[in-house]
This record gives sequence, structure tokens and C-alpha cells, in this order.
Amino acid sequence: MRRYVRIFREFFRACFVEELEYRSEFLGNLISSFFGIGIAVLTVNIFFYQTDQLGGWTYADVLVLLGVFNTLRGMIDFALRPNMPRLLEHVRRGTLDYILTKPVDSMFYVSFRHLVFWRLIDVLLGIGVIGYGLIKKHYIPSLVDVIVFIVTIAASFVLIYSLWMLLMTTSFWVIRIDDLSFIFDSFFETARFPVGMYRGWVRIVLTYVLPAAVITNMPALSLLGKWNMATALIAALLALVFLWLARRFWRFALRFYTSASS
Amino acid sequence: MIRKYIALLRMKYVEMLAYRLATIVWMTGAIVQPLITMAVWMNIDPSQSDAFLFYFMAVIFVERMTSAWDVWELDREIREGTFSNYILRPLHPIHWAVAENIVYKVLFLVILAPVWAVAALFVPALRFDMTGGQTLLFLMALLLGAALRFLLSYICGLLGFWITKVTAVYGVLEVISLFLSGRIAPLSLLPPVLQQWSIFLPFRYMIGFPIDIITKAANSHDMLQGFAIASIWIVVFVIALRWIWKAGLKKNQAVGG
Repeated sequence: MRRYVRIFREFFRACFVEELEYRSEFLGNLISSFFGIGIAVLTVNIFFYQTDQLGGWTYADVLVLLGVFNTLRGMIDFALRPNMPRLLEHVRRGTLDYILTKPVDSMFYVSFRHLVFWRLIDVLLGIGVIGYGLIKKHYIPSLVDVIVFIVTIAASFVLIYSLWMLLMTTSFWVIRIDDLSFIFDSFFETARFPVGMYRGWVRIVLTYVLPAAVITNMPALSLLGKWNMATALIAALLALVFLWLARRFWRFALRFYTSASS
Repeated sequence: MIRKYIALLRMKYVEMLAYRLATIVWMTGAIVQPLITMAVWMNIDPSQSDAFLFYFMAVIFVERMTSAWDVWELDREIREGTFSNYILRPLHPIHWAVAENIVYKVLFLVILAPVWAVAALFVPALRFDMTGGQTLLFLMALLLGAALRFLLSYICGLLGFWITKVTAVYGVLEVISLFLSGRIAPLSLLPPVLQQWSIFLPFRYMIGFPIDIITKAANSHDMLQGFAIASIWIVVFVIALRWIWKAGLKKNQAVGG
């Protein structure tokens, strides 16, 4: 375990150095991150110009939710998005060979080798919006709130990682060129708003089948002190089950890997 | 000129057929965001659900019919130097882009209009009745919208002669247009300040204006004003395009390749 922490730090350092080569882009990225969150807040303001609640959530609640959404998306763009599509390339070109011969767990390597460091700005901005929402609400989360929040947001992240990994691992059988991340984007986009806002079967699908809405709603509710220990535990358990499944599937898929001649 | 266009259209048609799958995937492209926005509005005012359903379906339709992708093409071509191939030919490069737009949008229309018709059979909220004159006005507004978006996109693309991040510039414009074109909300629901701005800026005439005609939200005065302002913007864009094109050619240094 300690070894993997060290390797992860090494990945982080390597990507950081790489990023420093393109220093002039940093300002542009910073501006676009600020612009993005500004637009998102403006959108919420436009909705609340006509109403004072959205699916039972007040303006401040929705801001907290937006902050959670931005934080989670920042984390995904930091660690997952740069890596997941690369796996397809590795399998198609046969460069997975190089990874398999390294004395490090292959799933760990393909998942975290490439980090887009500046995306952490989105995480910080998201936390900023969460803070702003909480101030608007005049609510100071207790220690338990924060712990439940951390558990649920981590569960959300692990769940997204596992599902994406499962999807990408199918590339051992189905050679694809497109990375299908637009499917993920579409569903994640639904997580921007309270799930109570959707109606009928859409709500049921988003709650139980594609828990896009739950992955952001639950951490936000935790911070607002409206958590429920049972659902938080179920979420954590579900995340672990899917992680285990993804792991098993990866192991299984590796047995079918036959490389590609160069 | 007509013969040239026939040749261009045929060429672009064959090109499109070569990328059938990509075209279909791409056509379904931007529907999730309008659908989510629709859910938000239905939640805010449930009594108007049918009107919102119609409005946002119309947004998806009009958005597809007026969509512009030339800035990404131009950005790539100028950066990689392949744009020189077009400059050398005896026909202005914009004609290739125009032909491509015609081919794709006719395809969208041929596919989307029957889909709408079938959907309207089952969903009463999607039905509408229009006189011949209104249909004509709607189509004119749609054409103006497509022209405006195309010109704006092409102008941004030509800025690639000077700067390397034109797609980022265009991205900012797209986001502004998200609000002012009526994609986030029907324009009548925006705060008054934004409504005022939207009348004078070109974005409204790219998406919101044709929809206002079809939903009869626009009276004859609004329409007259709308067509006038949209036409003025067309003229402004054409002049800007010509000027940037001339200045850009002087600036152009093709990348070898």
C-alpha cells in the first residue's frame, strides 16, 4: 500500500513537470474554470428568478449541490478522464504489453498514470461554491455532517470509476475507436440538479438504474445535515461491490489479451 | 456558379455518406442539455408543461438546423496548413463550407421533420397549426438563423490566422448565446435586462426568434423588428468576414505539409 502511495506521488510529480512545460496555458485554463463556474451560478440564478424552490431545494441548497457537482467533476477530470480513453489505445495498439511487464499492478497503472493537474482548480472552485451556499443558508455543518459528506462523495467517485472501468474493459473484446465518454457526460449532466425535480419514470431511472442524480445529491444533503446513515452506508457498500466487480472483470479480461503485432 | 455548386454539393454528399455512423451519432449530439433544462422549467411551472415540452423540442430542432461547426474545421486546417489547398483554388473557400452546410442540414431536415410528425401523432403537445404565410416566415427566420451562426462561426475560424485558440473564443460566444438565444429559458422568462440585450444582439435570431414565430409568441411588430435586426447583423457579419478574409490572407503563413 505504501508503495502505491509513493508511485501515485511519482505519477503526480511527472504530470506536474509535464504540465509546467506549458505554463502559458495555465492562465487560459484558470480563466476557463472561473468562467465555467460563473456561468453555472448564473444559470441557477436565472431559474430562481422565476421560482424560489427547485424540486424542494432552496436557492442556497442548489448552490451547495452545484458546488458538489463541480468538485466531483473536477476530481473526474483530474484522474479519470485523462486515463480511461487511453486504455482503448493501449489495447488497440498493443502497447498494453509495456504496462503488463512493469512490476506494478496494471489496473492501478492504467487508471492513474496520467493526471491533469490544473483540473484541481475546479475542485477548489467547487468547494468555494459549497462554502458560499452554506453561508447563504446560515448553516455550519457539524463534524459528523462533514464525515458523512466525505464518505458519500468518495463512494460516488469510486462508483463512477468502477462503472467507467467496466465499460472500458469491454474493449478487450470489442475494438472501438470512439471512447464513448460522451455517454458518460450526458448522464453526469443530469446530476447537476436535485433528483426530486425530475418526474415519473425519469426520476426512478435516475435514482435506481443510473444513479446519476444520487451521486451528487447525497453528498450535498450530507453537508446540509439531512443525511441518512442507512443510505450513506448502502452507497459506500455499493461502491465497494462495484469496485470489486471492476477488479474481477479486469483480471478476467486480461486473460483474453493477446496483444497486437506492431 | 450554379454548376460549380452542383459539383460541390455532390462531392459533399459523397463525403457525408462515407461518415454515416459519425453523422448519426453527431446528430443526436446536443439533446441532453435541453431536456434537462426542460425538466427544470416543468418543475418550476407544472401548469405550463406542454408549452415547455413544445418549446424545448423546438430548441433541439432549430439548434440542429442552425448548428455551425466551421470554426473547428477552420481552426484545424489553418493550424495544420492544409487550408492553403483551398486558398490556391479559383473558388473562394467559403463555398466549400456553404455546400457542406447545405448537405448536412438538408439531411437533418429530412430525418428530423418526419420524426417530429410521428411524435406529434402520439404526443398532442407537439402539434401545432400554422398558415402557409407563417410557415414561410418560420422558414425564413430559420434560414437567417443558420446564416448568422454560420457567418459567426466562419469569422471566428478565420481569426485563426492570428491566434491559435479560436475555438476557446468561440466557446465563450456559445456560452453567452446559451442565455441570449433562448436555450436556457424562453426569452420571456429572462430578467428584463437580459431580454433587452437579447433583442439587439445577434444570438436571439439564431434560435429563439424562429421558435417565437412557430409558438406565435411574436406579434407582427416583433417579427418586423426581428427580421430587420437579423438582416442588419447579416450585413455586419458579411462586411466583417470580407475584411478579415483580406487581412488574414496577408497575414497567412502556411505551415509546411
